[in-house]
Amino acid sequence: MSKPKEIFVRLDRCVGCHTCNIACAVEHSKSKNLFEAISEQPTPKNRVYVEWVPPEHKVPVLCRHCEDAPCMHACISGAISRTKEGVVITNSDKCIGCWTCVMVCPYGVIGRHMETRKAYRCDRCPDLQAPACVDACPTQALVYRTADAFSGDVRQDAAREMISGEGR
Amino acid sequence: MSDGKDILNRSTDPAVLQMIAKAEKMGVTTVWDRYDAMTPQCGFGETGLCCRHCLQGPCRINPFGDEPKTGICGASADVMVARGLDRAIAAGTAAHSGHAKHLAHTMLKMAEGKLREYMVKDVEKLKAVAARLNIPVKGRKENEIAFDVAKAALADFHEKDTPVLWATTVVTPGRVKVLTDLGLVPKGIDHEISEIMHRTLYGVDADAVNLLLAGLRCSVADLAGCYMGTDLADILFGTPKPIVTEANLGVIKADAVNIAVHGHNPVLSDVMVFVAKEMEKEAKAAGALGINLVGICCAGNEVMMRHGIPACTHSISQEMAIMTGALDAMVVDYQCIMPSLVTVAECMGTTIVTTMDMCKISGATHMDFSEEAASEKAKEIIRIAIKNFSKRAKRPVDIPNIKTPVVSGFSVEAIVAALSKLDAKDPLKPLIDNIKAGNIRGVCLFAGCNSVKVPQDRNFTVMARKLLKKNVLIVATGCGAGSLMRHGFMNPANVDELCGDGLKAVLTAIGKANNLGGPLPPVLHMGSCVDNSRAVALCVAVANYLGVDTDKLPVVASAAEAVSEKAVSIGAYAVAAGLPTHVGVMLPVLGSPLVTRVLTEKVKDLTGGYFIVDLDPDSSADKLLNAIDARRAGLGLG
Amino acid sequence: MVVKQMQYVIIGASAAGMAAAEAIRKLDSENSITVLSKEQDMPYFRPMIPFMITGKKKFSEMMLIGQGPYQGANINVRLNSTMEAVHTTDQTVSIKSGEELSYDKLLIATGSRPHIPPIAGIEAEGVFALRTLSDARAMALRAERTKHAVMLGGGLLNLKTAFALLERGLEVTLIIQSPEVLSQLMEPNDATLIRNALIRAGLRVMTGCSASRILSDANGVNGVFLDDGREVVCQMVCIGKGGRPNVDFLSQSGIRVDQGVVVDRFTACNALNVFAAGDVAVTFNSTTGERIVTGLWTNAVEMGHCAGRNMASQPTEYNGTLGILNATQVADVPFVSMGIVHTSGTDYETHVAAAPKAYRKLVFTPDGAKLVGALFVGDISRAGLYRYLIRESRTVKGIKSSIIKKQLHYGHILKETI
Repeated sequence: MSKPKEIFVRLDRCVGCHTCNIACAVEHSKSKNLFEAISEQPTPKNRVYVEWVPPEHKVPVLCRHCEDAPCMHACISGAISRTKEGVVITNSDKCIGCWTCVMVCPYGVIGRHMETRKAYRCDRCPDLQAPACVDACPTQALVYRTADAFSGDVRQDAAREMISGEGR
Repeated sequence: MSDGKDILNRSTDPAVLQMIAKAEKMGVTTVWDRYDAMTPQCGFGETGLCCRHCLQGPCRINPFGDEPKTGICGASADVMVARGLDRAIAAGTAAHSGHAKHLAHTMLKMAEGKLREYMVKDVEKLKAVAARLNIPVKGRKENEIAFDVAKAALADFHEKDTPVLWATTVVTPGRVKVLTDLGLVPKGIDHEISEIMHRTLYGVDADAVNLLLAGLRCSVADLAGCYMGTDLADILFGTPKPIVTEANLGVIKADAVNIAVHGHNPVLSDVMVFVAKEMEKEAKAAGALGINLVGICCAGNEVMMRHGIPACTHSISQEMAIMTGALDAMVVDYQCIMPSLVTVAECMGTTIVTTMDMCKISGATHMDFSEEAASEKAKEIIRIAIKNFSKRAKRPVDIPNIKTPVVSGFSVEAIVAALSKLDAKDPLKPLIDNIKAGNIRGVCLFAGCNSVKVPQDRNFTVMARKLLKKNVLIVATGCGAGSLMRHGFMNPANVDELCGDGLKAVLTAIGKANNLGGPLPPVLHMGSCVDNSRAVALCVAVANYLGVDTDKLPVVASAAEAVSEKAVSIGAYAVAAGLPTHVGVMLPVLGSPLVTRVLTEKVKDLTGGYFIVDLDPDSSADKLLNAIDARRAGLGLG
Repeated sequence: MVVKQMQYVIIGASAAGMAAAEAIRKLDSENSITVLSKEQDMPYFRPMIPFMITGKKKFSEMMLIGQGPYQGANINVRLNSTMEAVHTTDQTVSIKSGEELSYDKLLIATGSRPHIPPIAGIEAEGVFALRTLSDARAMALRAERTKHAVMLGGGLLNLKTAFALLERGLEVTLIIQSPEVLSQLMEPNDATLIRNALIRAGLRVMTGCSASRILSDANGVNGVFLDDGREVVCQMVCIGKGGRPNVDFLSQSGIRVDQGVVVDRFTACNALNVFAAGDVAVTFNSTTGERIVTGLWTNAVEMGHCAGRNMASQPTEYNGTLGILNATQVADVPFVSMGIVHTSGTDYETHVAAAPKAYRKLVFTPDGAKLVGALFVGDISRAGLYRYLIRESRTVKGIKSSIIKKQLHYGHILKETI
């Protein structure tokens, strides 16, 4: 069985334009249209974060869908599960807003929706061929590939990405 | 070049589509390819939430309400958006008034007897403008009056004892009061632009509403610049009268020396018209049928309105004129000149000649234009074209066999003259009567550009089709006019097909009274983008006739495919004048709910005008019709 | 030759027991797993039982099997099976019904029971100590005829219960012996924002006093006498005074118990083939090494997971837990408390920042080199990064100022790691 695709980051390519943030929030809106999404309630949320490590590193961070996902094991309401594609998802119907997942995620990529009191995270855009952030990235800093394909292409960056949080 | 996107979605102009296909085949990168490469565009910019006004930036505010919620300086989304919008208005104002200032300098030098190639072509207009400005006319020589008018024009740029005269003397008395009460009367055109730059500087105005009011005041200065541009151009080059010509890429002739004039100011293009006639012999000696001057964008509109020079294309398809391979030179002055022209020209053997010191393009041939040596410069430029013609003699060209008749030249003076054939004593009466009777339901001004974000001309044509059927009289300027003319909307033969019965009857009656052998065209071409002033003048004449202010008239405006910041400032002054004003592309303001609300609703309580932003041409037309009907109801008309 | 099936027996069907069962099943698809539960309900997410009081969730929405990591494949759960004894020599367990089961590997995951302090009248009807779904059901029933409920103790469980009752329209008073709520999770000064949120939400909070007697009549509880002489009229009392490991049934087993069941680093007891995990087990603080018993769901899952792997002969070291590792939201104020946060009178380097809507406390080792505790109230975003640093006991060096300012993000950790 071929391994599912994941979102990888090519650190050297991110320019910090935050286009991924916008694309992500729009894809997770009802209208899927920026101009309407802005005024939607509850507010659509982006699930990819562009962090800055001065002086020169801009680092897009998003859910790694860890193999042994600490969030999934820590969840006290059974809201977090893994799809057969390997994507760790939060079922917002089951989420009770206790934020235990936020407390245990070693990547800091689980967001809290304050209006709905639900946790949210990257779901790899199940309705799309490639996740919206990957598609939107103007510099192709985000790529959507299998781990094997990615490490074959850019071994060094893959190594950086594979650095284990406790989750991997 | 294509990534599989349907090129048919790029334009609705079949001539342009032929050239796009050619560019695809040749691998020539066009504006549409560059747009594809640019997408997705940055959402911060799209919503107006990106600020680069200081060196701590760029700052971006998250439009979804997460951090960052303010700029580094603390500017809120409202402030950031309002500041950005103000700067766009200031830029548009600077461009229109810069164009007018250029004309004023030309006129002053002419009045001082320093220029051989320029003179007062329309004495009546000179006198009318002078009278409006309280400049004595009686018993004075033309050049003396012209000198005073030029001086008055230049004086309007800076702060002085009086407000900007080209603003306060061109609107209704009621409007002067509204603008005065709101503090929206500009003190000087350059002063307002400069003040916008000041107040939008790091750490100055941080009150979004205050910023928007300043933007509106600057837009009134833009109206002054436009109006001045029209006045001075009419005086120097003649006030347009109806004239028959044609438009689209089919006006380029394979066997002629083809020269396109592109840009805005008739100071250059008008001279080109005359010099081209003198140079016919040289062209023929080089084996050409003659010199074929064609227009692009508003330089094209200026020479079309006055001399019947055909328009080859407009705005977003400017590169496509070069793609024919038959253009020997393109002469440009300023504004809306895409730098990419040089690259396309390189592929196709065209020379791009820049003429203004402030608008040079790397890779183009620069020939500094001066009014003092206007003819010589024009000759030099034409000689380059003739030389290129000789070089391309054996190369195949691809000129789409597509062009359409155009009746152009509808200045307000020309419209009044035509109406006076129906009622010599009271020429506006037939127009007003027809508005009252509902044969003319209202008036819509189409202005502005073509945007790469819209299939070229789609919004204009869809909206115009709908409005004409509903008996809305349409006037058009700039590339909005260009768009409609290329699709046959300025061809009188199409009145039957396009217009509702009431409008058809009016256009036919005027045509008959003027012995035109047919009706007026469905859409009246009023000129270039500075000539939006003509639409204002028409409104003011009608409003004064009815004894109401312009915000009561069933008149609306639309920049259906806007691009330039000039369209933003025009839109703003249309709103300041009290018009419901449609914009068919997204303005970068949605990041601020406050600014959005002010522009689309609250401003109505102040000036009577407001913005309608709608990207769908069908529903846009409906909204404009509703606005017209509401105004009719306000006037007690059915 | 027929190979006899191996028997895994797990006592207790909550977090530790079920996590162990899943871990075993992942490594061993063949042998039999039996989970014994003394409860009458199929396994459920215990922290959700306050929703039974509010009625916001049905039991079916709290069920554990089929959710998240709990797939329950071929795991035999036996309900109503209270433990009598464990016989380590013949490797059997006896159930109160009289039945005996033999095991090849045994996990003790019996959890804890509420600590009931010796207060006069505490046996009255209407006095609860919330632990099981049955308790919650009974409370919900009593709530129907309760106007005012008194909560004894200001811990997290009691707060959650208090909010559930509040949501049902009851008046609720918290009676807290300590000077402030949540004293197990933070110091009094740390709790201001939370205390304010409780008051805003409509809870009554009385600190520095405790119940000396519970009053009742034929209808059950009708009031509480306080040690300062005051009397509070109420129709329900809820005790939240922590838990005690369920180890009574082990008294004759020879399994070593010291508060809880004592285990080694591989979750094994002193008896062969017997393991323990969760609230019943003695674990240790990963920062200080101190032996502790804890009632943390997250720890129970982690330790149960570990024990399961060890039972399935995949030696897996258990790394201990933070003594404090809690996240929740009370009213509109979220908070996270992790590691060492009680610092008064200690040498820990402590950085506190108090803003109107956010409070944080970062605790470092006395030499300032390592992060050992973090408390966030109001803004808990990216809390997991701080837990990671505490847990890994990493020297913080270049990122210390980011930690103190709570600006830490994954980029920092990535850069430190490269």
